[in-house]
Amino acid sequence: MAYSDKVIDHYENPRNVGSFAKDEEGVATGMVGAPACGDVMKLQIKVGPNGVIEDAKFKTYGCGSAIASSSLVTEWVKGKTLAEAATIRNTQIAEELALPPVKIHCSILAEDAIKAAVADYRKKYGEDDAAKRAAD
Amino acid sequence: MLDTVRELERQGFSATYLDPEPDGLVDLDKFRAALRPDTTVASVMFVNNEIGVIQPIAAMGEICREKGVIFHVDSAQATGKVPVDLAALKVDLMSFSAHKTYGPKGIGALYVRRKPRVRLEAQMHGGGHEKGFRSGTLATHQIVGMGEAFRLARLEMAAENERIRMLRDRLLAGLKGMEEVYVNGDLDHRVPHNLNVSFNFVEGESLIMGMKELAVSSGSACTSASLEPSYVLRALGRNDELAHSSIRFTLGRWTTEADVDFAVKLLQARIGKLREMSPLWEMYKEGIDLNTVQWAAH
Repeated sequence: MAYSDKVIDHYENPRNVGSFAKDEEGVATGMVGAPACGDVMKLQIKVGPNGVIEDAKFKTYGCGSAIASSSLVTEWVKGKTLAEAATIRNTQIAEELALPPVKIHCSILAEDAIKAAVADYRKKYGEDDAAKRAAD
Repeated sequence: MLDTVRELERQGFSATYLDPEPDGLVDLDKFRAALRPDTTVASVMFVNNEIGVIQPIAAMGEICREKGVIFHVDSAQATGKVPVDLAALKVDLMSFSAHKTYGPKGIGALYVRRKPRVRLEAQMHGGGHEKGFRSGTLATHQIVGMGEAFRLARLEMAAENERIRMLRDRLLAGLKGMEEVYVNGDLDHRVPHNLNVSFNFVEGESLIMGMKELAVSSGSACTSASLEPSYVLRALGRNDELAHSSIRFTLGRWTTEADVDFAVKLLQARIGKLREMSPLWEMYKEGIDLNTVQWAAH
């Protein structure tokens, strides 16, 4: 398997590896995939009072492309609102990392991880919390 | 040989697939029970290519002979690693491949027993060469190359097996201090050249990517077109995580102690890094039973 330079860079120097403390204010988690499929991604976002994602962390069990996809999205979601983050598409991830067809599912998983994290945030803090916290 | 059997099934034959025991070996009682009155042929690998276990060929041959079943053995991985004595083994058909034993690519052989006689359909038709089994002009240079490779392998086998066993033990010892490492396949009934190991919570392909300096393969076929985990490891009853987390190390004629030490050091560094990155490792460390987790399968 020939990996693109960007995949290799994210694999060798993954951005934002780690976890937030579970009870940290504004933190939400999205975990997608399954060990049976060979990929599990955990993406955490930390949303500030203004409704903007201040920080993000990931942990991934999976191939190099899966690691690179999740590392990349931690960079992309930072500074975005939840609504903006939810617009990130797998095709953008696959294009940025030049993923071959057999690895497209890694980018789909990364998109799912963002959506799962956003959904978890809304479940935890309520649909309009971001706006509410911003207004406070 | 699975593909050959599937083709026979398409032609209308029925086949029984016998799973090995968790140690990778065929259970002789189960093998005996699987032979039906109308069974014509049984086929097994002498040495498994993924996990290196050595099947009990002699005993299986006795059972086949007793039941009047033609016994085929794939010895591609066995030559130069275990003695192959066709005068003693009750094997009717045995296949060989040159390149697995440092011979030239592009040649193999099929042993066909004369007494008791095995009658074969011609593989290809033509001038009736090789007793009509396989017509065509023989590649003499390939045959000589294969013969010479096998001669050398036989000469060096005892000493080489001993040397490689020491390297294998050195590699295994290097992994001892690591948590959640599982050897796949029986360690005693095995060629020393192969060590198939699952590093739990680390995905095999990502580990290979981090060890460019080593030529290893993942038990899972992730690097090929298929994303399924190894069917061999699944047949041993390994769960999906372990099947996806396996690496096959093979030691050979040119492997040195320094190579093994280098591999161990690299492995320890990479496994540590990948586990730090693994949500499964994190959950394991938190005491969460992964079997109880509701996964969003995709």
